[in-house]
Amino acid sequence: MDPSALQSPELQNFLNQEKERAMINEMVGKLTSACWDKCITGTPGSKFSSSEASCLTNCAQRYMELSMIIVKRFQNMQ
Amino acid sequence: MDSFSSASSGSSSSTNDIMDQVKTQLAQAYAEQFLETVRDKCFDKCITKPGSSLSGSEGSCISRCVDRYIEATGIISKALFSQR
Repeated sequence: MDPSALQSPELQNFLNQEKERAMINEMVGKLTSACWDKCITGTPGSKFSSSEASCLTNCAQRYMELSMIIVKRFQNMQ
Repeated sequence: MDSFSSASSGSSSSTNDIMDQVKTQLAQAYAEQFLETVRDKCFDKCITKPGSSLSGSEGSCISRCVDRYIEATGIISKALFSQR
């Protein structure tokens, strides 16, 4: 393999994009796992009840809200 | 991403090779991890008292659980990225 290919801006660009995508995937995976544990308490049915579905949505959004609050809290400490 | 491959600058067959490899490996790693998570979650939900063989109701719980977990993943990413 041609080592100069590793320097190409095209490749660097691509890698940065993939890195970002991987971070997003990781975030979604982590949150799905956490919110699944909180919201899906019974045996999984053939479809989500509306309360399970809205619990999942709320769970993800509250997590984001919480992480912003925590960031602010830490900024205020300095 | 299409703009890359069409506007590429000559050097690119090995660059494209690297990109393809990275994509394949990432997809593989992601799939493996997802599988492992789903396996754990559904094991917890569906196999509450392991018997001497998998019962029919455990089997159908597993299929529903896998479907719901995939659906939950979609709900979560929609909640994160499509609103606001």
